Amino acid sequence: MNPVDLLGKIIEISHSNLELSSRITSILNIISRDMGSEEVIIYTRDKDRRLSCRYANQKSVLFKILNQYRCHVGEGIVGSVAQKRSPLFYTKRDIPPRFGCLFYPELDGRIENYKLFAFLPLADDSYLYGVLVLCSSSRDTLHDADKIFLSILSREVGGILCSYELIVSSKKRISELATLTELGKILTSNAEPHDLLRNISLIIAKSLNATFVTIKLGYAFLKLDSHRFTYGTIDPSVQDHVEELEGAATRLLRAVSIKDCAPDEYEDSFRYSLFSAPIVSKNRVLGTLTICGDRAGQNYALGEDGPYLINTIANYISSGMENTLLNTRLRDAIRELSDAQKRLIEQEKFRSLGEMTANIAHEIKNPLVIIGGFTKRLARQIDIDRTGNKYIRIILNEVTRLESILNEVLNYVKETPLLAETCNINDYIDEVLYLLTSDVSWEEIRVVKEYDAGLPLIACDSQQLKQVLINIFINAHEAMRGIGTIWIQTKQAAYENRPFVAISIADTGGGIDPAIIDNVFNPFFTTKERGTGLGLAISNKIVMNHKGHIDVENVAGKGVTFIIYLPAKNNTIKEELL
Amino acid sequence: MKNARILVVDDEENIRLLFKEELEEEGFEVDLASNGLEALDKLKEGRFDLVVLDIKMPGMDGIQALNEIKNANKDQPVILCSAYGEFKQDFSSWVSDGYVVKSADTRELKQTIKNILGL
Repeated sequence: MNPVDLLGKIIEISHSNLELSSRITSILNIISRDMGSEEVIIYTRDKDRRLSCRYANQKSVLFKILNQYRCHVGEGIVGSVAQKRSPLFYTKRDIPPRFGCLFYPELDGRIENYKLFAFLPLADDSYLYGVLVLCSSSRDTLHDADKIFLSILSREVGGILCSYELIVSSKKRISELATLTELGKILTSNAEPHDLLRNISLIIAKSLNATFVTIKLGYAFLKLDSHRFTYGTIDPSVQDHVEELEGAATRLLRAVSIKDCAPDEYEDSFRYSLFSAPIVSKNRVLGTLTICGDRAGQNYALGEDGPYLINTIANYISSGMENTLLNTRLRDAIRELSDAQKRLIEQEKFRSLGEMTANIAHEIKNPLVIIGGFTKRLARQIDIDRTGNKYIRIILNEVTRLESILNEVLNYVKETPLLAETCNINDYIDEVLYLLTSDVSWEEIRVVKEYDAGLPLIACDSQQLKQVLINIFINAHEAMRGIGTIWIQTKQAAYENRPFVAISIADTGGGIDPAIIDNVFNPFFTTKERGTGLGLAISNKIVMNHKGHIDVENVAGKGVTFIIYLPAKNNTIKEELL
Repeated sequence: MKNARILVVDDEENIRLLFKEELEEEGFEVDLASNGLEALDKLKEGRFDLVVLDIKMPGMDGIQALNEIKNANKDQPVILCSAYGEFKQDFSSWVSDGYVVKSADTRELKQTIKNILGL
């Protein structure tokens, strides 16, 4: 084939739709045949800039040996051609002594067969793609025309490699861009922080073909139940490295790779590549993002520019977290506002309802007093038979019951000012217990006290607070049907960083049905046959008036614990109350 | 003081009747008034050992009447007797000598009266 036809053929192949390796192999086959060269080999540059033997003509014998070794630019003949970017031609006679630097022990004896060697750089003006090597046993000279032809040829092959690299890197950029776009979509959505972090790790893992992606949050953040969000499985063999990298990224405030952390262990054979970057928001490290790729895996996308990419993603995440944080705070604030508004409306409703109830109760009270009062007189004054007596007793019992309901209702709806005095709650509990347990129905109830002797004093209205204790004790007594254990504990507690006194009262009365637990403080809610449903409502109101609150811990089937929290005296509670 | 004179002030006719009968049974001499102004008039006309005063009344209410009575004669014993205990916390009720929540059971009222009169 004349050089022009040959070049035409090569150009045709290089622009075909074949796979890169098939195109190159075909070209090398043609060169081998046409130039009478048994070996036509191409070295290309790896990501770490070293040269390795990648392609050869089909009949090549040396390829299998050479592709086991790699050499640096500048090392040996191949390396020096790559460095100088100028071709070298040797005949058997003038092979330099350092030739062996390239051709390895396994090649001993084979080199002798070749009479001619050509080394041509595959490069354009700015970038070196590799080196083309020809070995021939049939020819021992190259004419200038051959040399020119070979240099044109090497440019063409270099062109193929160049466009291939361009395609690979643009594919990679596109996939990175797609990842960032996907991330952007998620980060600007109003997802809950929890879902946000899960989705982020999923997207990164999928688009970068990572073995696993793990986001670790440095401290309690956004009230999440977990501090680590991982997609994929962390191989136990890299577990330590992950933690080490996360520590380094947090400390150095930049992206780090496993090479920075374990240079000794990092060998080409190390299977995974690991990158970690801090997620930084306003000079505060929120956490770290760690991506692990399997170097042997297909389409592995994290290469030399891993640190750059992971940093970009980490920045994306931190701005997303800021958004979410802001959103969450905003949502909380709005919720609090609307809660406060609801409470205000409730209070207002309650106030007018209270006034109405008070008026009605008052209007009913007078007639009731008259009915009961005159019935009593009737019973005293005239002679009534046994049946009549029974009826009168029933009327009087019902009048008494109605009166006590009215008293409770009026007690609940009216606004009672607090008469604040300083007291030790332990003493009040004892007083109330003394009164209650003197009754015979308390005989089979065991009372266990665990008082904190150093309890801070509280400011309270003793009458009202005793009412609270009585209500809770009586409920416990009734729930246990007179048999069981009441356990009372007092201790210091903190609520919103302020000192409080906590009084726990636990019973063994079988607890409250979980379905109704939310109702226990609601007025007029009762499970008792003859209750007004106001006991706990009044208790709650009294404790709230004391700037405290009541918690309920319920174990259905076992018992219930009421915990009364009251602010300790060193708060300015007295002024607040008066 | 067995024949102590008591003035019962209440806007509800039947309450007045009930208290009158119950107290007369205890041996007291009972006179009645249906509101604060009427009570003040009665107190000007004659001497009473004790006044039982309802609070919620049309015209002059019990708290106002209490103040007027005590202004005229700070030693005049007065018991406030109301449908509910709310006024116990009201400072202006503190000048009264006793406070009883109205009930069909009149024992507390009677006992309070006896305590104040030293019986």
